[in-house]
Amino acid sequence: MATASGGDKGTRNLVIAMISFIVVVGVVFSLISSRSNSTAAIPATVSETDGYGIVLNPESTPKIDVYVDYQCPACRMFEIINGGYLNEVIAQKKAKVVFHPMTFIGPESVLAANSAACAADENKFVDMNLALFQNQADSENSGKWSNEFLVELGKSIGITSGAFKTCVNDGKYIKWTSNVAAASAKADVNGTPTIFVNGKQLDRNTEYGDQAKFRAALAAGGVK
Amino acid sequence: MRAKFYIYQPWLTLIARLILGGVLLAAGGLKIGNLQKSAMAVRAYEMLPVGLANFLGYALPWIEIGIGLLLIVGAGVAICGLLGAFTMFAFIIAIAQAWARGLSIDCGCFGGGGAVDPEDTKYLSEIIRDIGLLALGIYLYYFPKGKFGLDK
Repeated sequence: MATASGGDKGTRNLVIAMISFIVVVGVVFSLISSRSNSTAAIPATVSETDGYGIVLNPESTPKIDVYVDYQCPACRMFEIINGGYLNEVIAQKKAKVVFHPMTFIGPESVLAANSAACAADENKFVDMNLALFQNQADSENSGKWSNEFLVELGKSIGITSGAFKTCVNDGKYIKWTSNVAAASAKADVNGTPTIFVNGKQLDRNTEYGDQAKFRAALAAGGVK
Repeated sequence: MRAKFYIYQPWLTLIARLILGGVLLAAGGLKIGNLQKSAMAVRAYEMLPVGLANFLGYALPWIEIGIGLLLIVGAGVAICGLLGAFTMFAFIIAIAQAWARGLSIDCGCFGGGGAVDPEDTKYLSEIIRDIGLLALGIYLYYFPKGKFGLDK
């Protein structure tokens, strides 16, 4: 207004400028930090072309992509219902299976995914994957999954090497989890668990919670 | 009646600013700590190309915080009211199309978001809340001058 003093108007404009600046800096910073980092350490079994997932049976076909978050209760249910069959498929090399441990539930998902990648270096990914779900806490980021706990969990499935302990404690693959997250975002994964067989997403409402339907979906995708 | 409104209007503007601004600030603030999840929530609406959805997932919480702060301190109220109303309008469209298409998602309005069990969706209450906030935004566009604001 014409009657307003210059000082008041100045304060208002300064506040608007400051807040706008914070918003712009925040957006730019967030976008940059969401990008995948090509210098991140990645486990030997991880393939960048497979969305930075942990690859089991790279030579087999068809390809099954499994997106989970270790803190996600529905993923635990999926593991209980279909993990046995999926592990059989892996053991018998009936498919190339790519695990994408997502971390959107928070810090303990990151620690768990890091420990799973450390276990992959010891050829124990499948066992660690199962052990994590079997030891999922009742609530998110409860404090249960510390690095000490995860090292002990590794021991309980027979990983005793010093390299594993160092890998977990140093968070060797924590940067890699951001790469998995960025690739999962690009792949349009909107929830967990999400399973693709040869790129075709299974039906969340029917095929995840039913052993027979899950087997049928894998068979339809070429798992013999 | 008109005279009474004249007296109350600046106070109503203040209340509208605090409610809409407070909700936006809370909505943005609760999402800012987990932008991966925010991006996932936007993707789950299956409305935008993946790249744009991810961009919005990272940008929107900051924009909500910005508009929320400006409304609370009362700077640029008319334009922020309009932006807030526009944001709510976009949310209403997004939620309504998810509902109509039978998607099972959490709106992700205050953090959270993504695919959920069909019985856990609450589209109607989310839309009603957003219509209320939309109305506050429109009110602020037409009556931006209120108590304790930086706008003069």
